Amino acid sequence: MKAATLRTFQTVHTWTGLLAGFALFVAFYAGALTVFHDDIAAWQNPPWLATADANVSNDRLIERLLSHQPDARADFGIVLPHDSSHAAYAYWEAKNGSRFATASQVDAPRTDVAENELADFVYALHDSLGLPVIGIYLMGIVSLIYGLALLSGLLIHLPQLVRDLFAMRVGHNLKRLWQDAHNAIGVISLPFHVIFAVTGALFCLFAITLAALNTVAFDGKLSEAFSRATNTTPTVTVSGIPASMLSTEVLMQRAQAEALKSGVSSFEPVYLHFVHYGDRNAVAEVMGLAQHTLGSYGTVAMSAHDGSVLATFVGNRYSVNGISYAALFGLHFGSFGGRTVQWLYFVLGLAGTFLFYSGNLLWIESRRKRRHLEQPRKTLVMARATVGVCIGSCLAISGAFVATWIAERLGVEAGLPQRVACYGLFLAACAYACLRPIAKATIELLWATAALTLLMALVDLAVNAAAMAHEWSPLAWRVIGVDLTGIALGIVFALFARAATRRAYTGDANSVWAIRPTRGDVAIRTERSQ
Amino acid sequence: MIARCLAGTLLGFPLAALLLALVLHLLPGHGEAVLIPALILFFPLWTAFMAGAYMFRNGARAWLVMGGANVVVFAALWLMRLPG
Repeated sequence: MKAATLRTFQTVHTWTGLLAGFALFVAFYAGALTVFHDDIAAWQNPPWLATADANVSNDRLIERLLSHQPDARADFGIVLPHDSSHAAYAYWEAKNGSRFATASQVDAPRTDVAENELADFVYALHDSLGLPVIGIYLMGIVSLIYGLALLSGLLIHLPQLVRDLFAMRVGHNLKRLWQDAHNAIGVISLPFHVIFAVTGALFCLFAITLAALNTVAFDGKLSEAFSRATNTTPTVTVSGIPASMLSTEVLMQRAQAEALKSGVSSFEPVYLHFVHYGDRNAVAEVMGLAQHTLGSYGTVAMSAHDGSVLATFVGNRYSVNGISYAALFGLHFGSFGGRTVQWLYFVLGLAGTFLFYSGNLLWIESRRKRRHLEQPRKTLVMARATVGVCIGSCLAISGAFVATWIAERLGVEAGLPQRVACYGLFLAACAYACLRPIAKATIELLWATAALTLLMALVDLAVNAAAMAHEWSPLAWRVIGVDLTGIALGIVFALFARAATRRAYTGDANSVWAIRPTRGDVAIRTERSQ
Repeated sequence: MIARCLAGTLLGFPLAALLLALVLHLLPGHGEAVLIPALILFFPLWTAFMAGAYMFRNGARAWLVMGGANVVVFAALWLMRLPG
């Protein structure tokens, strides 16, 4: 490639990186935590702090739903709980939008999935920065820009890709080291990033893109072809003859037995879908998490009356279309390989946050005035934005954990405290990074994040210890796992804070990251250098 | 720079869509059996066009070539859809 073209791609990489980097940092940090969605849910509501309706059976929920909401009979779903301390809830479409209800809520259903679940809030931060309506489109555009940043980054790095891949030039030139680390992580985790750029754009923009493609290139025939390719529910007509329905327990067992004939090693039901419940021709679909396949979520459709299997979309009985569609979700959520893949996704997700953070650092570093104490205004603004947004969002998410924990113990709804703590801390961190000398703000925000994260984990462990000893349940492992991960993250934040302190006091003074030497500092500095 | 960016973004979208539609049309059964994999390719293809647009010497050439490609693929698709 010509040098001029390389320079163009360098500019493209810089701009796309700057545009998308901040949102991607939040998406990757929250996304890395979302890998452990069910564990965070168990952390919020361990067995000794179970949610209301956790002990209500699925059949009882259906019975209550249909007696209070008879219109839902035509089409409704039951979202099964991830563990025994959570409640199953029904989902259906009313005339004016989606409705959700656990057994005790069926007379006054919610319009939101679960506003008090911390795990769902962290997921919302991941997929839409927690912003309603526009957030998802915003993240879709971010995914597109991210794809372009990946491609341009690869192109500029291509000429020296093989030679420099494992080069870590640790030495005086710190920018070189950061650049090497940025490149190595970018290239090694490239397949992982390609997955997210593609699936992220698809998940966020699919509906509008499908509509656009439909008119632009497919002569209006795409929407139908798409639903034919992905639909799993067999079409049936109402017979009008009432009939007995099999219990959900029996339906799930049938589905499991059927799914295990399809080359998968397990099938854990997560969602039930009923059409024309109570009719002779009623259909029951059981969706489940299967392992030993990339299309980790599969579906078995049966007659709800006699349990005869109507269609199977699991493992090797998927069509090419079906398995590709299912694999999008498996690959994005890392649900195809048990705990090992979850940890891999967690680590790669955090490596992704490093990629975006180090990208901004490199931008600042390449514009640093090496011989002047005074630094360009734009690098200072960038430093403030990077610290405020990135460290601020880590602090904010830890704050959401703390607020949820306190709300659960006080017995109040956690939804509002979660959001107030999260957005409040985020805005406060951004303001702090704007007003305080930036090197000091970096160190203090890192210490604050470390302290909050560590404290939360330690307090939770201490408070739960008694309950765990008294009433042990395998779910307790999840609580311990979340707390230990919190402790590990807290220690990492503390190490970052220490490194930032060291850099501020003993590193090159001609930088935004240095703390301006006062008279006392100068004395220390000369002493150290001797 | 901006002109090439716009060419890649605005013309890359229909070009990627039309190319996929054309390939699917040529496959047996109009490619309905591989519709989803083809749709998954849409975003990577569009991104590739966005990046590819910077390879042109200037904005005018990018618009000219990519616009021309759109017209050619659209015409091919339209001709093939003609009955008989």
